[in-house]
Amino acid sequence: MEKVASSDAIVELRATLERARELFDQLVEGRAAEAAEALAERPSLDAKLEEVERDREELSARLVEAEHQLGRLMNLYVATFQLHATLDPDEVQATIAEIAVDLLGAERFVLLLRLEGSSECEIALAKGLEQDPSGLYAGDRYRGGDPLVDAALEDGVLRLGPDEFSEAIAAVPLRVQEAIVGVLVVLKLFDHKAILRAEDRDLLDLLAAHAASALFAARVYSNTDRKLRTLESLVQLVRGT
Amino acid sequence: MQPRKILVVDDSKLIHKMFEVLLRQYALVHAHDGLEALQCLGSDADIDLILLDINMPRMSGLEFLSQVKANEALKDIPVVIISTEGKEEDTIRGLEAGASAYIKKPFGNQELLEVIQRL
Repeated sequence: MEKVASSDAIVELRATLERARELFDQLVEGRAAEAAEALAERPSLDAKLEEVERDREELSARLVEAEHQLGRLMNLYVATFQLHATLDPDEVQATIAEIAVDLLGAERFVLLLRLEGSSECEIALAKGLEQDPSGLYAGDRYRGGDPLVDAALEDGVLRLGPDEFSEAIAAVPLRVQEAIVGVLVVLKLFDHKAILRAEDRDLLDLLAAHAASALFAARVYSNTDRKLRTLESLVQLVRGT
Repeated sequence: MQPRKILVVDDSKLIHKMFEVLLRQYALVHAHDGLEALQCLGSDADIDLILLDINMPRMSGLEFLSQVKANEALKDIPVVIISTEGKEEDTIRGLEAGASAYIKKPFGNQELLEVIQRL
């Protein structure tokens, strides 16, 4: 009796094992199919990954460029704002100097303004000229002699050095309407600023367009204000007597 | 949360305007020389950071820095020197005087923002 029972149990166990083997085979086949499918898809996934990586690099480059442009525009905005923020000629000159030093990195520069009815220029503003070996800017007048400066004064076109016969790194003509009223001459940059960069050209153009008009507007206002005060004093004096 | 308060010490109005535009997310206090900056620190107790020029009238940046670092109540405020003085020895002198960073003018906006965020 016991033998029969154990024989049934063995049969049942074999059937179960058989079923288990079938299920295992099915599972292996299924996994193999999935793996094969995944392997088939891998090249397209790799391509997608590469594409995403390229997009990321392009976005990073665009972000850097956008930040660069933002900085450039900010410098231009601040420089323009400050140039026209005052009607005091001394403050406008101080702003021109600050733009030259703080934004362009000029260690040595001179602002020349044409004297009315003369070919000579007065030295309106200068920095670091005590170390100028040329002697062209000695005293309070510039009488000519630097080819880049003379050319900029002549035709109103921005000149950039280096030039064999000139010390100037940049000669920026200053215009009021169509008249060339002076020139900003950059003679030396700070040692830690090796060269004028592309964005500096925008600042030089801005100075050419705005520095002289801001300075002349301030001078005209200052002269008019002074004359008005003189007239008011005279009127008061006449009324008093 | 209150924005960080930054004391800007520079005799250039252009630089003050630039910081106003660049550092909109911060509260700025303006001083135009070392003496005025010391007065600001006396009246404003919650300055978090100082941006400091070197060449200024009345009191230079380095003199101001030495006074700040000698003051027990102020010495922990980080100071960033922003100057046209760009030689190696200038940087060393500034850092030895207690500055946390030294930036040369003209500076890149990102460079300045990164230094401010780091400190």
